[in-house]
Amino acid sequence: MATKKKRAPNVENDSWVVVAADSVIDTRTRDRNPSFVRLRNPSTDAASLYMLGSGDVQLYEVKAFEEDFHSWFVGQTVQRDGRLLFVTAMDPLYLILPYLIKSDKEGKFQPVDQIVMDEEFPACSRLLSCTRSLVSLHHITEEKEVGNLKFHRYSQEKTMNWLKKKVERTVVALKKRNISVGEGVKSTTYIRVKSDSDYSEVDYLRYAHGLISDYISEDLSKALLSHLQLPELTSPKETEPPSKKRKLSDKPVEAGEDYTKFNSADFARKPPKKMTAAQKTLAKVDKTGMKPMSSFFSPKVKAEKK
Amino acid sequence: MVWPQQKSQKPADEEEPACDVIGRPKYAGETNIEESGQSLPVVMDLSHFEKDNSVSCRLASPIPDVCKMEDCCLGIDEAGRGPVLGPMVYGICFCPVSKKEDLKDLQVADSKTLTETERENLFQKLDEARSYVGWALQILSPNTISTSMLQRTKYNLNALSHDTAIGLVQYALASGVQVKEIYVDTVGPAEKYEEKLSQRFPGIEVTVRPKADSLFPIVSAASICAKVARDHVVKGWNFAEVLGDVDKDYGSGYPNDPKTKTWLSKYLDPVFGYPQFVRFSWSTAQTLMDSKAVTVHWDDDEEDGEKAAQRQNNRSMLSYFSAAPGGNIPNQTHQSHRFFTERRLKSLDTL
Repeated sequence: MATKKKRAPNVENDSWVVVAADSVIDTRTRDRNPSFVRLRNPSTDAASLYMLGSGDVQLYEVKAFEEDFHSWFVGQTVQRDGRLLFVTAMDPLYLILPYLIKSDKEGKFQPVDQIVMDEEFPACSRLLSCTRSLVSLHHITEEKEVGNLKFHRYSQEKTMNWLKKKVERTVVALKKRNISVGEGVKSTTYIRVKSDSDYSEVDYLRYAHGLISDYISEDLSKALLSHLQLPELTSPKETEPPSKKRKLSDKPVEAGEDYTKFNSADFARKPPKKMTAAQKTLAKVDKTGMKPMSSFFSPKVKAEKK
Repeated sequence: MVWPQQKSQKPADEEEPACDVIGRPKYAGETNIEESGQSLPVVMDLSHFEKDNSVSCRLASPIPDVCKMEDCCLGIDEAGRGPVLGPMVYGICFCPVSKKEDLKDLQVADSKTLTETERENLFQKLDEARSYVGWALQILSPNTISTSMLQRTKYNLNALSHDTAIGLVQYALASGVQVKEIYVDTVGPAEKYEEKLSQRFPGIEVTVRPKADSLFPIVSAASICAKVARDHVVKGWNFAEVLGDVDKDYGSGYPNDPKTKTWLSKYLDPVFGYPQFVRFSWSTAQTLMDSKAVTVHWDDDEEDGEKAAQRQNNRSMLSYFSAAPGGNIPNQTHQSHRFFTERRLKSLDTL
């Protein structure tokens, strides 16, 4: 029967269903296990979950597929959350970038281990031990070498070029994977009317820019947009029609005829209450010739006299 | 994972009647029956259904030659409509109109007024009259009933009953039986059902009556076939689930039978509910699962309008065609790119 089901509070899981690259569990090089770490998300500036590969040599981002009404059967157990975690490789520069931009205000060349520091997320220093971190810093910084020490300073110009390359590579990947990027198609499960060749280069660029923007700050995203010479889009929200019909006035509608009682001040239209199944069946009962319940409680005197 | 397997077996039941027909050679025990005297003979071969009792299955007698030549009357009745346990069995019985009186002489009567032994004996008599009486059964497994009634587009028991009855009549016609009169015990309003059947089978006189099983011997005969099959199936139910030694003391299977209730409580699994023997769509089973089993939420669960709207953030339909749905992460103004929202992917901050 259509009863109200109460959702039990989500109990914390001690297991997850994860899709991960083989490299995540490759512990041949170092004997340390890969670990989940909380780091500052460059796009939201809040905590997000990442994973550092064995011995902190590789950075992975963690994304969750989550939809209502899913659960897992795992072996002989049931897992309540139908979540599917994806652990995918990620360029550590994206996470290092915000720290460089922050330190740029001082305008000085600094050793990178002084730049990448965060009281809130102390694990961020581990980013520097990733194999790709130090060797690719030159994509986004100017470097100076004094003796054996390297000093870095954030370079907006270099960063823009680096991000542009990222966008261009993303475009290649999008084309290869047949990802629909057109504005007209919002659902990937839709059958596309347009063939892929109909998408303009601008469509791809804009889509790729949007995708990369999920990994950089809003300011940087705007800067990148102009660097790519893409015109800024008006917010899609403005084009969205209001979700509900607007009421013309709050006053009750005046009836042409005399329905005064419905217009009195204290009359409030109550929404029709949903009847339960039992009430519905009762309502259908043939009540001809039956006294209303209330008649049993009213004074009988008058009726008897007549 | 189990479904595709079952579905692939289903067409065999419906499209190849030849392999469903349980011919005479299969129950080879006639001499034995006469020798054994008192004890109940195995009169119906149900092995075809017992092989896979999760689907709908048709069993039929050979068609008497005389039924292909002469105008016939056909009775339809069902057994096991109310129980929460076991299958519902639909039966048809047919014989030439000229032999109606012979059928009366067999003293077939409404199956409900008979004891089990009497029913078995009467089925035996019907079987002996095979030169002019034919029958066919459709066994609707409890699983079929559950999945029909609980699927997304609900298929209620009345519709299921009507369609099964129609299917059996079609089978008789396709097998060459010269059906001219149909007698049915009603399911739902009699006039509507009669109209439906008349339209479906033009040229056949359809009579739908409540209590038809006590009015027309051919309906009584059908009811006996159906009831005997149901009794046998329920008694010898093969549980597909691994339950060890199953307590078979489940009583009549009707919801108000205390034995049935006890059995239902005993075999309630908190995750899976019941074995396929139980009709999940019965309120008896649902109430027990609601109170004692783990709550399961489905996509098409009825929710209060307000709640559903809240859950969906009350967005206008039009919004689905323009802006990418945001609001995946409530406390943030940040919107993920539609690449992620379209794929229901989001970042996590904790596990």
